[in-house]
Formats: sequence, structure tokens, C-alpha cells
Amino acid sequence: MSEWVVVCLDSRDGEISASTLSWVRECQSRAQQAGYQTGALVIGPGSKERIEKLEGAGLSRIWRVQSEALESPLNAPHLQAIEQALRTIAPKAAVFPSSESSREMLGALASALDAPALPDLVSYSFTEEGAEGKRPVMASRFLARVSADGTPVLLSVRPGSSTAPPAGGPVPLPEPEIIEVKHPDRDRTARLLEQLMPDGQRTNLAEAEKIVAAGRGVRDPEGVQLIEELAGLLNASIGASRALTESGVFDPSLQIGQTGKVVSPRLYIAVGISGAIQHVAGMINSDFIVAINRDPDAPIFDIADIGLVGDLYKILPLLIEELKKRGGDG
Amino acid sequence: MNIVVCIKQVPDIEAPARLEGGELKPDMSRMVLNAYDASAVEAALVLTEKHGGEVSLLLAGPESASETIRKALAMGAHRALHIVTDISPDEMDSANSAILLAEALKKMEFDFVFCGKQSQDSDAGLAGAMIAQKLGVPFVGNATALEWSEEELVVTRQDDRGRERIALPSPGLVTCSNDMNEPRIAGLRGIMQAKSKPLETTPVSELGLSAAELKARTVVRSVEEKPGRQAGVKLEGEPEELVREMFRLLPEEYLNE
Repeated sequence: MSEWVVVCLDSRDGEISASTLSWVRECQSRAQQAGYQTGALVIGPGSKERIEKLEGAGLSRIWRVQSEALESPLNAPHLQAIEQALRTIAPKAAVFPSSESSREMLGALASALDAPALPDLVSYSFTEEGAEGKRPVMASRFLARVSADGTPVLLSVRPGSSTAPPAGGPVPLPEPEIIEVKHPDRDRTARLLEQLMPDGQRTNLAEAEKIVAAGRGVRDPEGVQLIEELAGLLNASIGASRALTESGVFDPSLQIGQTGKVVSPRLYIAVGISGAIQHVAGMINSDFIVAINRDPDAPIFDIADIGLVGDLYKILPLLIEELKKRGGDG
Repeated sequence: MNIVVCIKQVPDIEAPARLEGGELKPDMSRMVLNAYDASAVEAALVLTEKHGGEVSLLLAGPESASETIRKALAMGAHRALHIVTDISPDEMDSANSAILLAEALKKMEFDFVFCGKQSQDSDAGLAGAMIAQKLGVPFVGNATALEWSEEELVVTRQDDRGRERIALPSPGLVTCSNDMNEPRIAGLRGIMQAKSKPLETTPVSELGLSAAELKARTVVRSVEEKPGRQAGVKLEGEPEELVREMFRLLPEEYLNE
């Protein structure tokens, strides 16, 4: 009998993008190294369309759970569905993309299934008894090598930490198998009052290739406009430090740092960000960091590849002008 | 409304920490109240000050953690229960912490349990959901705002993509983001009052848990320094020069699609 590693793709975690796909491939290749087969558990509304995007991921089986109750973004129905599906599939390991939603899912499932959980891994492998991997601790100043034995072992793995090779030719998708789940009625349960989505940003910040991030130094609408213009010209996503999301200048979903999103773009431009340890924890894995700050002693310069010491209100307009010129040339 | 806030004593993440043979040695003289838990305490105090009720603290940890409890009592919490463990920090993970806290909570009366959304040293963020599951109560993770409305707690939850407003009936559990508030700094009066507030201690043995239940489910094999980032070039001068120099140094590939 073959043993399974299951990647859990819940609708609460959003669409299946190119980076999700390479994340799934990575998992498939790690499972294969340990002698396991990989299947995907696709949960919630739009599961049919999301499954189509998994072509080429090298999956051997696909399980699909769709029920009306899963239209809700609340955790309870999703938790019930994943718990029941994992009991049915009985895998060696279940792997979740690391996100705000999967974090709480992992804890609740660990209790419900009496299974060990390793959250927020940046690298991992499967072992005979369970799994091991590395995760950042102490605001990403250190990496801890962690392991857990048990079945199933539950992992969440950060996106963007993938080095998966391209798939060897198209692999046909297996026919999805439907898993029926029950949603027991509870008299005392959480109720959704409203769902508030921020004005659409081009890309999910965690997957963005380029990010222009604004900090406390960006202090008025003029500064915000400069950030938006720069991001627009670079086709970059906008991020912010806690100071600017807390004061309401930017939407909380744009916060980068220990509390907010962890990002790993190719280019990160930190504007008016001093580089507090909590912020750095969220962006230290960027490929190339440019920092603009008036304070020559700002800690952001200790990690920046290029640091510009100066007034952002003078530097950004020049930067924007230069980019426009280049855009015009090309 | 009575609220129990689960709190944890953790190393100050901004304090120096050293590695010794793959083991992390934080500065034990700089142990603090987990920042996320401080926000949970603050949220509980604000709600009870406005709508009545009491705030109890619950902590599982070594005897020395009582210092952290006193600090949270000084913020204004009414009482505390300290589950005294001699389990070494290396043998504590989210799972056995949650078991200890859930077991104590089963014997306490509460309308809501508040936890910090994660612990600032491990950043695991599992314990809150684990406790809720063990207690069989509904929970909301990563709350950024709380209000009380007609016998329900209205919780604003921040997701990766957007926000939700959720009505949570009692009993329920909320994990709190530090974006929720700015925790108060205890004044002299609070510190004095905290000394006479009830702080009950109970040894782990009294919870009646088995050795298997008290065992950590995960192991930290070793800790290593994160591969450091070298500081690059720091440019100073006239803005025009800075921008020109930046474009010269920035590899073209990072600007392209």
C-alpha cells in the first residue's frame, strides 16, 4: 500500500497561482525522495477551477470537498471539512501553505487529530517517522531545526521558499475523488457579520516580485502619491510598515513584518522605513534591497544592498522621472 | 463579562541572544510579557472597564514567571492563576502548553478566553486554536478590534486578503494581534495594588494529566544563526547624485519584469 503526502489547498487561502504550483511541485519532489506519493486536497468553493490549475504538479491523486457551508470564510466549517477529509485519506503528512488562515487551522487540526504540527517552515523533508525542517524564530534572527514524529504530521510551509525543478512534461491530472463531509449543527457558533476586502491590489503581497514599502517617513498624501507612482512605474506591489497601517494610511493587509506578511520579492524598495527588527523579520529574504532614509544610522542600511541617505521627498521624484525616461526609451 | 487571558513569559526579542553548541541562550535577565499577550490583556481590560466583569490571568511556566504575572496584574487585571511547571523551556511546545492551559481553563469560569495570536520568540501561533479545540468552543484568530454588542463579542479579524467582522457568542476564544491597541504601561499605583491581588499557584501535578499528555510533540534539534546579510553600499550626497548612482549599481534584471 502506498503512503500519501497531502497538500491542503483551502479556498480561504485564495487562488492557485504560479507560485502555489511550484510550491506543490516542491512538496511532490520532497515526498518522492522519502518514497511517498503526493495528492492534493482541494477544499471549498471554486474547487473545480482551482484543480485545473494544478496540471503539471505531478499529483497522483486529487480529493475534492465542496459543500455549501464552505462558502463561509469562518474557520469552523473549513476545519470540519479538512479534519474529516484527513481522517478519510489517512496520510503520512498534510502540508499547508503558510498563511494567517492556515496557522489557526494547523493548531485546531493538531488538537482534533492528536497530531504534531510544525508551522511556518522555510525548508523541510519527510522522514520515516514524520517530518523535519527549519523555521525562523526570535523575529527571524535565528533558524531552528525542528522535527516531529507522528501520523499525520501537519506542516505549514512558506510560499516562495521553493526551489522545485520544472515539471518533466505535462502530467495528466487524475480524476478528482469527491469526499463528502458533514457539518454538524451547533447552537453556539460564530456568525459572519460582514466581509471587507481592500481595493484590489495586482498581486498577493506574499508572492510579489517587486515591492515598494512605505514607512513612517512617508508622512502625508503627497508621500503616499509618490509611493503609488513609483510602484506603478515598476509594476510593483505596495507594502507598508506597521506605523503606516496602524495610522490608517495603508490597509492592514499591506503590513509587512513579524505581525503582518512575510515577503520575499526579487526587489524590495524600503522608503522611509527605519528597519525595526519586527519589520526586517518580514522582508529579510528579499533578493535585492534598496533603502531610502534620511537617518544615516537607520538599521535598514545594515541589510540594504543599496542605501540612499536623504530626503525621500527629494529622491522619489527624481527616481520617478528617471524611470519615466527609461520607460519612454523602451 | 469575565475574561481569562492566557499569558506567557518570553525572552525580549530585542535583547542579545547567543548560540552555544546549537542551543539558543536568550538573556534570562530580560524576560518579558509576550507582546501579543500584552495586547490581549489590554483588550480585556478595555472591555471590562466599559461593560463590567473581571479579568483573570492564566500562565503556565516556571516559578520565576510570577514576575511577569505581577506586571500584567499591575496593568489592571484582577487575579491570576499560575500553573507552576518545572518542564524546561526546551520541552515545552505549543501542544503541551495548550494542554496545560486548557485543563486549567476547564476548571475556571469565563465568558471569553483571550490569547496573544503568537508568542514573540517562537512565532508558532498554534496554542490559541489548540486550546479552543480542546475546550470545544468557537474561536476567531488574529483579532484586530473587539466590541461588545448585545451579548456577543464583535471581532474584527485580519486575514491575508481582507477583514471579517464576526459575532462570537460566549463561551468563545479570541487570539489577539498586537495591532489591536497600545498596551498600557502600569503606573506606580497599579504596581502597588498588584502586590495584594490574588495570585494563586498550582503545581502541574494537580491538573491530573498523564506523562504522555505533558510530553512535547515537536523537538527543536538545534538553532543556527540565520545566514547574515551584508550591508551593501550606503550613498550620501545630493539627491541627483544618489539616484544616478543607484541606477548605475542596481542590476538591470531587478527592474525588469
